[in-house]
Amino acid sequence: MPIDDTIYAYSVARVKALETRLLDQGQFDRMINSSSGDEALKVLSESGYAAAVTELADIHDFEKLLAAELKDSFNIVMKISPVPDLIGMMALRYDIHNLKVLFKAKFLGIKSDLLIPVGSYDLAKLEYAVNEDDFLYFEDKLRRVAENINEDFMVNRDPQVIDLTLDRVLYEQLIFGAREKRSSFLEGLFIRQIDLINLKTLIRVKRMGLHRDFLKTVLLPHGSVSADRLTAMIEEPLESLISMLAISDYADLVNEGVREWLDKGTASLLEKLSDDYITTYLKQGKWVSFGLEPLVGYLWAKEIEIKNIRIVLVGKINKLPAEAIRERIRDVYI
Amino acid sequence: MEGIEIALLGVALAVGLAGSGSAIGIGIVGQSAAGLISEDPDKFGQTLLLQALPGTQGIYGLLAGFLIMQSVGIIGEEIVPLTPSQGYSFLMAALPIAIAGLSSGIYQGRVLSSTINLIAKRPEEMGKGIVYAVMVETYAVFALLATILMLFGIDV
Repeated sequence: MPIDDTIYAYSVARVKALETRLLDQGQFDRMINSSSGDEALKVLSESGYAAAVTELADIHDFEKLLAAELKDSFNIVMKISPVPDLIGMMALRYDIHNLKVLFKAKFLGIKSDLLIPVGSYDLAKLEYAVNEDDFLYFEDKLRRVAENINEDFMVNRDPQVIDLTLDRVLYEQLIFGAREKRSSFLEGLFIRQIDLINLKTLIRVKRMGLHRDFLKTVLLPHGSVSADRLTAMIEEPLESLISMLAISDYADLVNEGVREWLDKGTASLLEKLSDDYITTYLKQGKWVSFGLEPLVGYLWAKEIEIKNIRIVLVGKINKLPAEAIRERIRDVYI
Repeated sequence: MEGIEIALLGVALAVGLAGSGSAIGIGIVGQSAAGLISEDPDKFGQTLLLQALPGTQGIYGLLAGFLIMQSVGIIGEEIVPLTPSQGYSFLMAALPIAIAGLSSGIYQGRVLSSTINLIAKRPEEMGKGIVYAVMVETYAVFALLATILMLFGIDV
């Protein structure tokens, strides 16, 4: 953290003004209660999305609108942040996502439309790098990882390794980056994200009936609940798993989300609760006047908003009942 | 040093430090205001009022400086011959507003910067934000009061 924290004065005030344009719970309620996808889109057109919605020719193209919005949000926060590196860490997740998509598409010999135009590496360059096996302009660590993935796939043909290796390098970079920049707020965020991913991995491996040795290889390091503690839990029945995690911060999440997953076989509640958990954490920094916290919070708020819009529009297009959509909607940041 | 030079050091500190407090405070609020205005230009009037508030410390410092300059004759017909002891008295008298002016200017600026964030969301609550800033102002006023009481007590 810089010594003079007032360097954040401009960016925080600007983000506060931007926050007023985020969709609130009321607007989401109206979208959920609307009679069709087009009606929901109409609600959206009365908000900050007005211009983008009028340009939208077909409701099924809404992903383009959302991707553009996400990109704009990252660009603006990156531009106004006095320490762009820290915001760059928030964008790194998208670089890694794009790499995963590109590697899988390449190995499966398909063309994917799941790329997200956010992140520090230009999409066209990423695409070129993966397709031509030319990772020269990648940052050192990432270059080595990318080359390893390539070599591993030639031998083992296991696409799962792509996710594992890239997630590992992502969170390692984030944790070390946050420590190096002495941002305990960001470190706290990343630790929580690692914990939540590990928790989901634990349940997934448990459901697949795989062994603890396998679990050990797929858990991410640097979480607050150690990998050893988690591997010890895999053979426990659900009830004792819940009681073992009850002393951690994740008690409620495990109690409701994991139970539903194991009972009904759907992880959607756990996914929602995980996002809400992060939102609650980031809200703590919402009223910091001189610091990075509101900037990170705004980006997260935008990601959640976009996720919510997607849930509503997909639900409306597929004519899901309003209640089913409401259950999946994430808590809003504002 | 003669008495007059010591007294003038007091003037310099009162005007210089209190003025710096104001300058820093106003600078911080100005940055916040610019951030808000770039998204919401209609709030210019409100932000201008908020930005002006940390300016008072500088005015208090200048006032104290003027009073000393008048007492020692820098402003006026002729310079009053001062003993070193009298000079130090003026210097001491200048210190409260110099010190409290510097710190309260900066901290008032920080409070008002937060008030800018507040009116970004709730412009109708600006009054409350100003009340918070006035709390900081109190201590600049106390300091000015102490400075003035001391100045009036010095025999020249």
